[in-house]
Amino acid sequence: MSLTRSRPPKDDAQRRGIAPEKKPKLTKAERKQMRRGGWLDAFSRQNLADTLLTGYLPIIVALIVIVLPLAWMVSSSFKPPSEIVTLNPTLLPQDPTAGNYSSVVDRVPLLTMFGNSIYVTVVGSSIKVLLAVTTAYALVFIKVPGRNFIFLGILVALMVPPEVSMLPNYLTITGLGGRDTLWGIILPGLGTAFGTFLLRQHFMALPKEMFEAAELDGAGHFRKLFQIAAPVSIPAIATVGLVTVVNEWNSFLWPLVITGSAEKMTLPVGLNLLQSVETQAGSYGILMAGAVIVIAPMLVIFAALQKYIVAGLTQGSVK
Amino acid sequence: MTTTQNPPAAVAGEAHTTTKPTAPEKSRVRSDRAEAWRRRAPLMPALIFLIIVTQVPFLLTIWYSLRSRNLLRPEGEQFVGLSNYGDIFLDSTFRQAALNSVLITFGCVIVAMLLGLGLALLLDRKFFGRGIVRTLLITPFLIMPVAGALLWSISMFNPTYGLVNWLIGLVGISPVDWTSEYPMFSVIVALVWQWTPFMMLLLLAGLQSQARDALEAASVDGASAWQTFRYITLPHLRFYLELSVLLGAIYVVNTFDHIYLMTAGGPGTASANLPFYIYQRAFLGFDIGQSAAMGVVTVIATIALALLALRLIFKSINAKEQS
Repeated sequence: MSLTRSRPPKDDAQRRGIAPEKKPKLTKAERKQMRRGGWLDAFSRQNLADTLLTGYLPIIVALIVIVLPLAWMVSSSFKPPSEIVTLNPTLLPQDPTAGNYSSVVDRVPLLTMFGNSIYVTVVGSSIKVLLAVTTAYALVFIKVPGRNFIFLGILVALMVPPEVSMLPNYLTITGLGGRDTLWGIILPGLGTAFGTFLLRQHFMALPKEMFEAAELDGAGHFRKLFQIAAPVSIPAIATVGLVTVVNEWNSFLWPLVITGSAEKMTLPVGLNLLQSVETQAGSYGILMAGAVIVIAPMLVIFAALQKYIVAGLTQGSVK
Repeated sequence: MTTTQNPPAAVAGEAHTTTKPTAPEKSRVRSDRAEAWRRRAPLMPALIFLIIVTQVPFLLTIWYSLRSRNLLRPEGEQFVGLSNYGDIFLDSTFRQAALNSVLITFGCVIVAMLLGLGLALLLDRKFFGRGIVRTLLITPFLIMPVAGALLWSISMFNPTYGLVNWLIGLVGISPVDWTSEYPMFSVIVALVWQWTPFMMLLLLAGLQSQARDALEAASVDGASAWQTFRYITLPHLRFYLELSVLLGAIYVVNTFDHIYLMTAGGPGTASANLPFYIYQRAFLGFDIGQSAAMGVVTVIATIALALLALRLIFKSINAKEQS
């Protein structure tokens, strides 16, 4: 498999100046190529065919397989029913219409659901992150009796499938009168084992000297947490925040069982409701429009914050 | 490995410890205790709340699993010991669901990991437009699972107007009703589509953390690309490959959205996995005792998997600390 390095070894060594004595004089073209950076190497004549076959072709195939379903979804959402119920579909809508989008709004109280989703995500995530930060701090810096057992318990909770605690949560929340309410959606999910785990690992790595000066000044735990530990941990906290926001936004099973009326549903449950009222083949443009509406906000957020997310996925586990 | 150490002072009344402290330990601890409690008090509510929301539901599940309780017959609640566990192991649907869980998890994780590895290797080189290609390849991971499931069940796998049937029609294959005839396959395809980017990102991070001088040394020595991959890249990636399999498995084993929306566990119970079957028993069958017992069994199976994952994670953390 020649995928790891497409450049021939000689080029690589030259470019990095490892063996300059072998060929002290570079031609003008070579020097220019060096300045322009690595990817131009791939276009040198002997490499062109190789690059196309082993590099670009698989990438293009992968792009088509991965992106086509999405492109198809967006395109379908603008197609009138006659273009969907056809045996000769086209990639682009011939007669684009926004009718599907207005149908979505007619069928389900979409704006209310959007508001619910935002409320649940913002309130739920804020409390979750605050709890994760304070708990992680307590687990690292405060000598709570048996804290290693508590930490172990949290790790176990991280691995427990959500549908297991769903049942007792359902009975408890229903007992408290939280069925079909927004706080009923938020409350059981407030403990984040993942966030606590990640932040604990992060706090453990902080140098103890950082806190000594503050201790001499008589700072309490709260000041040490919010003036020292938290500010230097912004990237880790941001990572936890992002993962939390995404989980909260995507959450389906719990909101599905705890809500009953359309006015209290979040978007994923609303999408499910839309599917159950729109069962004809011709209306799948409406469903795709609903899906686009639901997906779009997260894509925009991710596009803006991509590098943190990529870092966050691997942090904590691979630090 | 911090979690396996004995706690310095285990105090009676701590919900999680079964270790009884010895008498001398107790008195030594008591002297400093008042001051320590005063200082830590402000942070305790958060800790206690977290323990409640993460631990109590699980303890309640164990409690429910030992009782016969059906929401349709509220008066018939009683302690039945382990009979719920006996019942579920005799239940052939439960065994089928367990098998489906395993098939879905491993099918999805292994295929997604191999595809992710291929994509990561492709992306670990400089080429024109790499940034945009990477962003596009990540996209499925950012799609809400409910929307992804809807997308696959409706616009891809629809028997009459779906894109997949249209495409295979071009080469003369007659249309297939994917989600009815091959429900497991359909679910796995949709899951692989959703999870490949996650694997790709993790493995790409692994590839990019490779020491460049080792690769350069290999190329100076005239190693072929395959030799470099086999003897340098692959051993380096081993940890990342294991991690991606374990993390992926822990997430995918909980798959519910795709099954609920694509096949509803059907036809019959052919594609129900454990989370879906537990949901069905609890919220459509109202059988609290049995679904709680299933939950406990699932947790034990998952914890076995998780312990493996944790050992791996701690091994790497310790290795980093020692070096």
